[in-house]
Amino acid sequence: MKGSNGAGGRERVIRFALFAMASISIFSVLLILLFIFKESLPAIRSQGFTLLTTNWSPNVSDPSAGSYGMLAFLNGTILTTLGGMALGAPLGVGTAVFIIQIAPERIEGILRRGIEMLAGIPSVIIGWFGLTLLVPYIARVTGTSGYGILAASIVLAVMVLPTVVVLSMEALKSLPHELEEASLAMGATRWQTIRHALLPAARRGILVAVILGMGRAIGETMAVQMVVGNARQLAFSLTERTSTLTSRIITDMGESTGVFRSALFAQGLVLLLLVMLLILGVKLVSRDKKVK
Amino acid sequence: MMKPKTADRIATIVFWLLGGITVGVLLFIILQIFGRGLLTALNPKFLLGKPEAMKEGGGIFPMIISSLYLTGLTLLIALPVSLGAAIYLAEYSREGRVTGAIRFCVDSLAGLPSIVFGIFGMTLFVIYFGWGYSLIAGAFTCAILNLPTLMRSSEESIRSVPGTYREASFSLGATRWTTVRQVVLPSATPGILAGTMLTIGRILGESAAIVYTAGLFVRKAPTSPMDTAAPLASYIWYAQTEALIPDFRRVVDGGAAFLLLLVLLMNFLARRLARYYQRKKLAGGADG
Amino acid sequence: MVDETPIDDTKTRISEYSRRCADSFTRETRMEEPTKESEPRITTDSLSMSYGEFKALEDITVQVPRRSITAIIGPSGCGKSSLLRCFNRMNDLVEGCRVTGEVKLDGEDIYAPGYDVIQLRRTVGMVFQRPNPFPKTVYDNVAYGPRLSGVKDKERLNRVVEESLKKAALWEEVKGKLKGSAMNLSGGQQQRLCIARVLAVEPEVILLDEPCSALDPVATQRVEDLLAELKERYTMVIVTHNMQQAARVSDFTAFVMIENQGEPGKVVEFGDTNHMFTNPVDERTERYITGRFG
Repeated sequence: MKGSNGAGGRERVIRFALFAMASISIFSVLLILLFIFKESLPAIRSQGFTLLTTNWSPNVSDPSAGSYGMLAFLNGTILTTLGGMALGAPLGVGTAVFIIQIAPERIEGILRRGIEMLAGIPSVIIGWFGLTLLVPYIARVTGTSGYGILAASIVLAVMVLPTVVVLSMEALKSLPHELEEASLAMGATRWQTIRHALLPAARRGILVAVILGMGRAIGETMAVQMVVGNARQLAFSLTERTSTLTSRIITDMGESTGVFRSALFAQGLVLLLLVMLLILGVKLVSRDKKVK
Repeated sequence: MMKPKTADRIATIVFWLLGGITVGVLLFIILQIFGRGLLTALNPKFLLGKPEAMKEGGGIFPMIISSLYLTGLTLLIALPVSLGAAIYLAEYSREGRVTGAIRFCVDSLAGLPSIVFGIFGMTLFVIYFGWGYSLIAGAFTCAILNLPTLMRSSEESIRSVPGTYREASFSLGATRWTTVRQVVLPSATPGILAGTMLTIGRILGESAAIVYTAGLFVRKAPTSPMDTAAPLASYIWYAQTEALIPDFRRVVDGGAAFLLLLVLLMNFLARRLARYYQRKKLAGGADG
Repeated sequence: MVDETPIDDTKTRISEYSRRCADSFTRETRMEEPTKESEPRITTDSLSMSYGEFKALEDITVQVPRRSITAIIGPSGCGKSSLLRCFNRMNDLVEGCRVTGEVKLDGEDIYAPGYDVIQLRRTVGMVFQRPNPFPKTVYDNVAYGPRLSGVKDKERLNRVVEESLKKAALWEEVKGKLKGSAMNLSGGQQQRLCIARVLAVEPEVILLDEPCSALDPVATQRVEDLLAELKERYTMVIVTHNMQQAARVSDFTAFVMIENQGEPGKVVEFGDTNHMFTNPVDERTERYITGRFG
């Protein structure tokens, strides 16, 4: 009985220490928000709405004399992300359906491992691959530089593929087996079963997969920077050089000071808010699921 | 009656095509990278050579050391914290507001782009703490970046330990911490290790969070954690962007192939480990 | 296991078991000293237990005598396991579980604030429904408890492990593979290992939660024999769904049941096993006992 207080006290200390470690995640998020916001304040103050224009003319020697509108890059981020998803989402969901429903069982494991491998390939390597093969190919076919939204979209499609495939597979796997059996038993073909029974039932999970894939696409930096061309102008054509928020930050951060640097942080802030919005979206989608 | 069948046949072909494209892309990338760079990557002169700033014929030895050093330091920081947090979430916490907040923040951290971690780490560690571009700044940044992955895989492994083990331990008069240390953690170790291997792969491949915290280019291998470093992934990016060396293609090809080799090796080890212990457990040979 | 046996035959067998149990019981009591030894080891007074909104047990008042086996029987879902888990406060681990009323061990309220639960669990050991050895060696399983209380001396650990395994009638079978994994033992051996693991902590009371439900008849027989031996030294409470087992091994029996769906479990009858199986006081007990065999 004597040791009991000692043991109880020790338990309390350990519990507290573990709790402290768990709350580091909270502190990290708060610190990140705080620092990114604080660093972008000078630009928000001095530039104001200029930040939301397409006028990007930094002044390296006298940063406060420059103009730092990010609209062209926001446009680049949105277009490359949409492009990446337009290619990656159907391919990813289709691959997930293929692996779960159609592929012979003995190659299912191999395919799954392949997807895991793809997820592990570093983004600089995918970027290098895009830069040395994809860009020259697009250049040859279209007669342009090859850099731009199209190249970035294709690279992004490859990069979001593992996220979309793995999460869609999970969504499909979590469906009750009876669903499939019921549909097949009614004389539906495999395609009818997939289209009318499985995909609708898994749609929330697939939506989450696509949203999370989108989050990856928005934030992808190195691979995009290597193929998007890094021009400052607003681009709508698929093969025109442009920039994304991430590629601008990584390209300019090294040589920027003062308001210039602060404007890059403001871009980081926009990036962060975009991603937070998506995470919130995921929370909403998956909460709805629990209610229903 | 013919129509659904035709549709089914077409759909099947389309799905085979989609699966084929995914696998094809994967194979194509891997074969391309290895095909172009593996010979360079396995050349000892390249692996153990010093990098050149302007001339041809440089190697990547300091970069390999930087990568390994950074990985080690990151794990040193991230592993205890994520393990502690995972133990808290799996064994101690009750679902409530605080736990909900922790989970939300972990999800947020997991979703943030690594470039955001990069510029955050640059402000806090490099500038505010005055550590400069250094391994330690890179390691702290990378540690926060990888916290969610490590935490989740550890928590999952801890949760998969059968409740009957805990019950038995408690009924013998063990405290919660003793139960965790003596029974739960030994059983969860393989899963935790597998998660760690995957994280090592991620750290090795990370670049956006590293370039402005740990550094891009060094001439000799870093020794102190305060030294500037040039992890392989970040050097690959630097070498191709700036392209100051005439043979940057060879260097990047070789570096990329070697990096891919390391990452795939880690993934392979993670899977092997998970499977090895699973089989051992099934066969009943796992001695805590 | 028994459901097809004709009633008459079973009844004679019950009375035979009861007689045997009664004999051994009187032998035991004669050996006991009349003072402290005759006082019950565990007593409960209007014990109630609930999981959140759901009330699992209500108004339980029983007395568990020393050096004897008390069986808790009743239909499944009646709360017998919950009742057992009140005795070593394993219910504490279930979120939202609340206990009111009194549970006394040797006259001390184990639910009193500040009571040392860790010490309680070392005094009151528990064997579970399914054998649950740790994924460690046979040796480390048995040594787990002593190590918890700080025993580090190799010699002493060896001795405790050997003694406990001998008491659990397992020594002969495993003495060559102490360093092998406990997972390699058969189900029956694993369950006896779990008993040895409990014995190594030197408890005074052993709670058994349907210890044979996962075992085959031969292994069951061995565990039952073991319990009969252990009765000399320990107070035991066994939860069982097997009426024959209750009749075979126990001295006292508590019959727990739920009147209607959703209501808490209550003790319908508590008393001498022999008496209860031959002359149940309560009609519901009679119905349950005979119903189970019919």
